[in-house]
Amino acid sequence: MLAYSIRRVFQSIVVLLVVGLVAFSMFRFVGDPIDNMLGQERTDADIERLRGELGLDRPFLVQYGRFLTNAATGNIGISYRQGRPVADILVERAPATLELAAVSGLFAMIMGVGLGVFTAIRRNGIMANVIMTVSLLGVSLPTFLIGILLIYLFAVELGWLPSFGRGDTVKIGSWSTGFLTASGLKALILPSITLGLYQMTLIMRLVRSEMLEVLRAEYIRFARARGLRERAINFHHALKNTLVPVITVTGLQLGAIIAFAIITETVFQWPGVGLLFINAIQFVDIPVMAAYLMLISVMFVGINLVVDLLYFSIDPRLRIDRTVSEG
Amino acid sequence: MTFKRSALIALGLVLSCSAAQAETFKWASKTDPQTMDPHAVNSAPVLGFLNNVYEGLVRRNKTMAVEGALAESWEPLGDKGWRFNLRKGVKFHDGSDFNSEDVMFSYQRASSEAADTASWFAPVSEVKVVDDYTIDFMTKVANPLFPSSIANFMILDKGWAEANGAQLPSKEKENHATLNTNGTGAFQLDERQPGLKTVLTPFAGWWDKAEHNITRAEFTPIQNSATAVAALLSNNVDMINPVPIQDAGRLQQSAGVNVIQGIEARVIMLGFPHQAETLKYGADAGKPNPFKDVRVRKAVAHAVNVDAILKTIMRGNAQPASQLVSPAMSGYSKANAARPAYDVAGAKALLADAGYADGFSFGLKCPNDRYLNDEAVCQAVVSMLAQVGIKAELDAMPVRTYWPELRKDAYDMYLLGWSPGTFDAEHPIRFLAHTPNAEKKLGSWNFGDFSNDRIDEMLAPIQSEIDPAKRQAMLDEAAKILQDEVAYVTLYVQPLVWGARDTVTLTQRPDNFFMLRWVTVK
Repeated sequence: MLAYSIRRVFQSIVVLLVVGLVAFSMFRFVGDPIDNMLGQERTDADIERLRGELGLDRPFLVQYGRFLTNAATGNIGISYRQGRPVADILVERAPATLELAAVSGLFAMIMGVGLGVFTAIRRNGIMANVIMTVSLLGVSLPTFLIGILLIYLFAVELGWLPSFGRGDTVKIGSWSTGFLTASGLKALILPSITLGLYQMTLIMRLVRSEMLEVLRAEYIRFARARGLRERAINFHHALKNTLVPVITVTGLQLGAIIAFAIITETVFQWPGVGLLFINAIQFVDIPVMAAYLMLISVMFVGINLVVDLLYFSIDPRLRIDRTVSEG
Repeated sequence: MTFKRSALIALGLVLSCSAAQAETFKWASKTDPQTMDPHAVNSAPVLGFLNNVYEGLVRRNKTMAVEGALAESWEPLGDKGWRFNLRKGVKFHDGSDFNSEDVMFSYQRASSEAADTASWFAPVSEVKVVDDYTIDFMTKVANPLFPSSIANFMILDKGWAEANGAQLPSKEKENHATLNTNGTGAFQLDERQPGLKTVLTPFAGWWDKAEHNITRAEFTPIQNSATAVAALLSNNVDMINPVPIQDAGRLQQSAGVNVIQGIEARVIMLGFPHQAETLKYGADAGKPNPFKDVRVRKAVAHAVNVDAILKTIMRGNAQPASQLVSPAMSGYSKANAARPAYDVAGAKALLADAGYADGFSFGLKCPNDRYLNDEAVCQAVVSMLAQVGIKAELDAMPVRTYWPELRKDAYDMYLLGWSPGTFDAEHPIRFLAHTPNAEKKLGSWNFGDFSNDRIDEMLAPIQSEIDPAKRQAMLDEAAKILQDEVAYVTLYVQPLVWGARDTVTLTQRPDNFFMLRWVTVK
């Protein structure tokens, strides 16, 4: 177990370094930040001076090296656009994204498992078929469009929910939360559905097919023959055995939820790190882009690691295999 | 089941509580002002926003005319400079008094190496404090436009800046003035969350009489146009800027919403490589550059059907442009108000005359996120040029890669928009028409190296001529030369489209600055 963990951590660090390298080699194709930083009345001399000051005239390997050495000392740079430390900006923006991701993850999980079980049990019912058909929309419509549709329906036409933003937030330490105000909670609804819909559909379909598989298994038939109650069979015996792949997928999707929050955040003007990243691309704010990409890859790699270890502890067969193979 | 029921009840409760937004005026724009420091960044979103908080010696009124703000009056000191008589009894937001020391300090700050606004003070040789309420700005040569050129030069409090370590503007790192303000304007900064929201409240001690009835104003940047339109329609915001042109008609018909249209100060034009020896793109790459011939440039001017572009792409919201400035700017040349007529046969004849009867092909560079519908305009230009037999290969790109391309001369023709910072015809001559001269900081946006001795010779006299009639005569001559030489093919003046709830009364200025002090809400 320990050797396995250490090896995985080491692999993770290599992955991170490679991601950073690729990111830095791409930045110069994103564009030139200088024009955005200087006003209309800049001269060519100003441009050259600023380029030199920012080190943009150096090869990307040198820039990457400088980023890494600074990052090692805890300094991940200063935003070109805002002129403020990137770390401060990320700390300001992270709660919005994390809360959105948590709520949509929860939404996807609860609705996905619930509907999955429902459609599996009543697989010939009208309702189940309607849900299955509608869920196809969830997978095939782009997030952007779903967001706009929801906004037009619930904000513009019905006027029930806010069309953008986070509502009022309450500060607890450096964490700003929208969970404690009515407007904050209302503001969470549409973006969470938009962001979680795809994952929900995915989980639902996964649970459904796993359930169908399990429901055909012999031990379920025996349970039925023993006269156990239908609910106990479905939720206790059947569902439990479908959860291993569901946990894997959900874990991996949690990373995707945070990373792909970019689009949802743009549509709903949700002030999280995704929106920050989009702004950074438009402005060629290299320090922010670099920090965001590194953060996201740290997160992905971390989640993968955790899922691997969880998997390891949930499924006893894996554990035995591992210990045997690792001697 | 109980969980389900309580969840439903909770949801119901959430839905029934409507947000308290009665008193607050909310508005949204695409760009968040990147700093609250009035000297750190010379960009329209920053200056426009901060004009609500800070004030200059002079300010622009609803029709863009210059009027006194922190200076009550000003008079020329012969032809050596200007004397400003400052307003007495003006207070900063923190209650400290305003006097000439603050102006001196702000001048030193705004003209420092660290400031983005230093170029405004290039004509200044010296600034002298005469007494507490009198200050002299001496200029190197006579400068009749100086007072109006510093309408965006905002004054901050010396004591406050020094006490908080914000003596110099800082762009590369944060300082106190990046997030905090202390101005004399009608509104003070209540809350600043960069990229999220910025809250302003009226300043009770403002020297001028308030015309607005706002009690609290909240600004949110909304990048996505569709989101902004939805926010306005759903009454989540009271005003948005801009409204996408394609949505303007639909929005106008929606209940409760008004679309406010005008024209901006920005003129959109096509630029040429005036000095390049060869073409760089298209099938004729490497062949001699046809645009060096004025007949070819004239042919382009006649080939582009500006009215059609305005009708289809701008939905009738823009005005054709005959010269580098719009009619709303001072120094506009009425004598040269006609722009080349749309004339396919004439254009073909000119091309034939220049030896290009069979046309040629070349590369047109265009931004796709800088000006309103910029890429669509370029596509239209391409098809119009095709009708006179010249084939343009369009390469549209985001503005963040566009300017570097233009600086590298990587184009055969390009699209450019220019909004004169001083709202005067001299500005584009200095930046777009004068021969590039890095040392004198002239012609810095003249990518195509247009060069005309007479224009170069006239710039200095235009800058220093005090007699308005003589000055206009020179501006007319310059406009005529630029038209005759087809230095640029000016296309149209960019439209300005804002949207607001019908309860809101506001003033739209051609500089696209949104001034809260003219807003009333029913």
